[in-house]
Amino acid sequence: MRDLERELRELSSAIMVPPTPDLAGAAHIRLGATRPAASWPRRPVVLALVVAIVLVAGLAVSPARTAILRFFGIGAVQIEFVDRLPAVEPSVPLALGNKIDPSKAPFPILRSDLLGDPDAVYARGEVVTLLYGSPDRLRLLVTEIGHSVLAPELAKKIVAATTNTRFVDIPGSTGPGIWIEGAPHIVVLADAPPRLVGNTLVWVQEGRTLRIEGAAELDDALRIAKSMR
Amino acid sequence: MGRPLEETELVARARHGDAAAFEELVRMHQGIAFRTAYLVTGSAEDAEEAVTSGFLKAYRAIGRFRRGKPFRPWLLAIVMNEARNRRRSSARREHLALRAAEERRPGDAAPSPEAAILEDERRRALLDAVGRLPEEQRLAVVCRFFLDLGEAETADVLGVRKGTVKSRLSRGLERIRKELPDDA
Repeated sequence: MRDLERELRELSSAIMVPPTPDLAGAAHIRLGATRPAASWPRRPVVLALVVAIVLVAGLAVSPARTAILRFFGIGAVQIEFVDRLPAVEPSVPLALGNKIDPSKAPFPILRSDLLGDPDAVYARGEVVTLLYGSPDRLRLLVTEIGHSVLAPELAKKIVAATTNTRFVDIPGSTGPGIWIEGAPHIVVLADAPPRLVGNTLVWVQEGRTLRIEGAAELDDALRIAKSMR
Repeated sequence: MGRPLEETELVARARHGDAAAFEELVRMHQGIAFRTAYLVTGSAEDAEEAVTSGFLKAYRAIGRFRRGKPFRPWLLAIVMNEARNRRRSSARREHLALRAAEERRPGDAAPSPEAAILEDERRRALLDAVGRLPEEQRLAVVCRFFLDLGEAETADVLGVRKGTVKSRLSRGLERIRKELPDDA
């Protein structure tokens, strides 16, 4: 009778496994500290997962090709660092989906005690947006995605490599959030057209991926984040 | 340059936000993590995504890692979970490829062409039989025989007790034996 366990062990060495990509090497994963802001009490850490230097073929936002230098995910949101931002229409109207009754959202949404009720709630697939102000005079957007698994088809950010991006601690969240500030970056939510946006905080809370767009300062965004429940 | 840091020290540093320490942990374990993900998904692309995503989740969750426990099974459990999710959601069902018998034996006398063909067929049939096992049994076989993990580590990676690993292996091997008679 054959020794099946021995056969399986021998079989293991016969299975062709492709070479391991160097995820920790300079070309693939790089984790390092960014320069801390002078007023910053924490020690911000940027984790930049450089999966490969690949070209974005057919990127919807520009006919020109843009090199992705590295990308990583925070919850559902994929954040791509590029050598230069592709061109987008400078004044793309907000396309947040259908206006909905908050109780009809595809998942129970979190609210901010600090901000109070939003002026309108929109849903586009699994992406729910709480709008404060009006589409013409936007004060703040809080975007909620109903899960925390990387889903670039739902939410992607394209950020110039020179833009200040750092990990931050989010009160009440088990993982770090990411704060993107300085130069505008591009956000693509669900199948909405890409648009240029300013300072943004992204983090994961209670199985959702949350995003605040429009807070002028990180401290403001963190206070709002802390108030979400 | 001092001596390489011990894993426990690297984990402790990573828990305090030392990204370089986490990068070193990635370097130490990326080989077996990728092999794990590849054996589960059968696709290099899915495996790389699973490992990448697994490492990111591990980095975010490292605050919850229990001090004093071995790091590798904790990390592999996260990677395994990512790989299982990708296998479930992927339309791809690629078969793992095998080296031809003569490629495997540098230095050995080459088998006769007929023997090599029979050996290849037997191994292909064996691998296919593993692939047809119910997921729980298949993953136990993958951990024990294809990743060469011990029973305790297999139990940690699969998130079950050692006794459960034993029974899954036993049922899996029994099923393979029924499918593949000795002369197959």
